[in-house]
Amino acid sequence: MTKADLERAAELYDEAAEELDRAARHCKVAAGRFRDGNVPSGTAHAWAALGHVREAEERLDVQARQHRTKAQLD
Amino acid sequence: MSDGAYALDLGLVPYREAWDVQRALAGAVSQGAIPETVIFLEHPPVVTLGRRTDRAELHVPEDAEVDVVETDRGGKSTFHGPGQLVCYPILDLRRHGKDVKKYVRDLEEALIRTVAPFALEAVRFEGLTGVWLHPPPRKIASIGVHISRWITTHGYALNVDLDPAPFTDWITACGLEDAAFTTIARELERPVTVDEVRPHARDAIAEVFELDLEPLPAEDGAGLWKQPIHVQLASR
Repeated sequence: MTKADLERAAELYDEAAEELDRAARHCKVAAGRFRDGNVPSGTAHAWAALGHVREAEERLDVQARQHRTKAQLD
Repeated sequence: MSDGAYALDLGLVPYREAWDVQRALAGAVSQGAIPETVIFLEHPPVVTLGRRTDRAELHVPEDAEVDVVETDRGGKSTFHGPGQLVCYPILDLRRHGKDVKKYVRDLEEALIRTVAPFALEAVRFEGLTGVWLHPPPRKIASIGVHISRWITTHGYALNVDLDPAPFTDWITACGLEDAAFTTIARELERPVTVDEVRPHARDAIAEVFELDLEPLPAEDGAGLWKQPIHVQLASR
């Protein structure tokens, strides 16, 4: 693998980490809003968290697919 | 056949929080993790700048207590404040025709239907996005949208009952010199609440986009996880 390949992989993991950080922030807001009895706002933030988790998942999937093309599998 | 979708009434939400939520929901709708969702809310006073905003449109007084936010939506500058009904549909245009111009025309149609029950006959003007009363021309609702991977964010802002002075005193709203802005309350010459208008807005969006809109929380108190759309999602 070249340095450029490694950098591309690292960037995908950075992006996934950022998406998961955002998801965590939305989860914390959702928890607070549900405790306050504000269901619509809690739901909006809960779904927002889900959106970021799926975005993170997509980045990890890309990396997994790239790995699969390069790995020597029996 | 109508598609199932959620309607979220979020009340008063700061602009940046609402934008952040919209972008994340767009990701979830794009991946089919949640149904299409239509958000209704009001913003504390804020001036937002679209991608085509000319800085000369801005003349916010230094002592004005208002946030200024650069956004990724189309269009020029606008003002949001309490007493304005803001609607952000998070829709998948792959289900609604993959046609951005049609989407904007449909939002205009929804606005025209929303104000009709108040005996207001709103119109479109060729070449101008938004909805107007006429004559003389006075703008009652603005539209600015963003579409990525066919998922929509941003939407429309309908002036229900607020002072329209910031549209002209603080900015040259929508880049329109000498344009007049109005509100439902001003036209009816009586106070009108956002709560009074929202059900009409919800019905109009449901009709125009053929959505079976399910409000959250459910009026029968069924709870988040017992609602039909979640049952459908859980069975996938």
